[in-house]
Amino acid sequence: MRIPVVALALAMALPAHAQLDFGRMLDLGKKAVEVGQQVQEATKEYTTQEEVQLGEGITAGFLGAAHLYPDDRLQRYVNRVGRWIALQSERPDLPWTFGVIDTETINAFAMPGGTVMVSSGLVKRLASESELAGVLAHEIAHVVKKHQLSAIQSDAGWSAAATGAKAYAADRIGRSGGDVLGLKSQLANAGVDLVKDGLFLRPLDRSMEYEADRMGVVLATRAGYDPYGLVAVLTMLAQVKPEESAASITFSTHPSPTDRLAELEKVVPVDLEKYARQPQVEARFRQTLGKR
Amino acid sequence: MLARLAFVLLLAGLGLSPFGDARAQEQANTNRATDLKDRPAFDARTVAPLAADTAVSVISRHGAWTQVETGARQRGWVRAFHLRFRSTVEAAPSGSGGALGGLTSMFSFGSREAPKTSRVATLGIRGLSPEDFKNAAPDPAALQKLQSFRADKAAAERFAREAKLAAVAVAYAKEGGGS
Repeated sequence: MRIPVVALALAMALPAHAQLDFGRMLDLGKKAVEVGQQVQEATKEYTTQEEVQLGEGITAGFLGAAHLYPDDRLQRYVNRVGRWIALQSERPDLPWTFGVIDTETINAFAMPGGTVMVSSGLVKRLASESELAGVLAHEIAHVVKKHQLSAIQSDAGWSAAATGAKAYAADRIGRSGGDVLGLKSQLANAGVDLVKDGLFLRPLDRSMEYEADRMGVVLATRAGYDPYGLVAVLTMLAQVKPEESAASITFSTHPSPTDRLAELEKVVPVDLEKYARQPQVEARFRQTLGKR
Repeated sequence: MLARLAFVLLLAGLGLSPFGDARAQEQANTNRATDLKDRPAFDARTVAPLAADTAVSVISRHGAWTQVETGARQRGWVRAFHLRFRSTVEAAPSGSGGALGGLTSMFSFGSREAPKTSRVATLGIRGLSPEDFKNAAPDPAALQKLQSFRADKAAAERFAREAKLAAVAVAYAKEGGGS
């Protein structure tokens, strides 16, 4: 299934008139693979701007499948919590963007470049702002460590799609044309294809999830929250009934909550305990969600 | 779509809600000998010592602490790390054909054996399915709307102050507990 993706990505890197010429596309496929291999080395490193563009395309594709939860107040609230935590990270100045999607599915996603999405199904099951902080901090950690980006780069098909578009973007950015999807760059267009090709259905390495848990606990603590919001969320997830979790991609793309708790217990520094009385901020959370 | 609807109707016919009852008490067992505390804090009074593998009902959670009730009707708080929960995914034996038997293999593109159970049962009940992603047309307008909700640094700092959240300097934990 990888070849069509490569062909498609490189077809996008061709002038617009060639894009619908499938016969030519097949002809060019072979040449395109060679080009793809050439650019692969040169484009291993993404600039922040390129990472952001790719992430915007991924987000646009993602939002084609998932709709924003229709509560602007909640959206702004989640952005403030998220930005405050991100400010405590090593990448405080990314264009951090947070969103709640309208689905009962329990999940959260991080895109390269600083976009984090969380499902309304998950938000509704949380009890406090510190639990939300734990979830967002885990996702922020994925962005800080560029986990999604390295997953894309380590997958041959995905990498070819992204690097092909990246080479094209470097050459042609600022000129008009080729932007069939109405996005700002070829890299963004490649991001859309990554979504179609299952970017969100493939798990990250377990080690990446554990690292994001470890860092997430610390990031939430740095932001002044009770350090154990994420632990509480994992406790909740561990209790989700199988028939409920069946509606969730979380359980297929993450290690089990029980494993994550066991792993966290091993690494959470004992001295975090001294921050255990930092606020959980329950009142503001409940008020924003309309809970009593 | 029809298949999905059919599954929801099937659940309804069986009297099962697709999302269960969130208030139902979950069961857990202690995974070691631990203490039942009267408050969610280390310096709280010990209500009772609990032996390893004591069965408890879960009532609520508060940070790293979980409120539970024992079979002897004693209520208190136990460290969340000291509990093993029953309703977890791995509770379903893999390949059992249960609702979760196929979940992991459903989404992986690797070598795991195909689920024996109906795939309809494993995903997408009002949620996001792989097909949703595959067939999605990108939505640049929604992206723009999403980005309009961004908070700048000043707004985030103001928001933190309102809840008396103060930034503190804490180092990351190392893998393997600092070794």
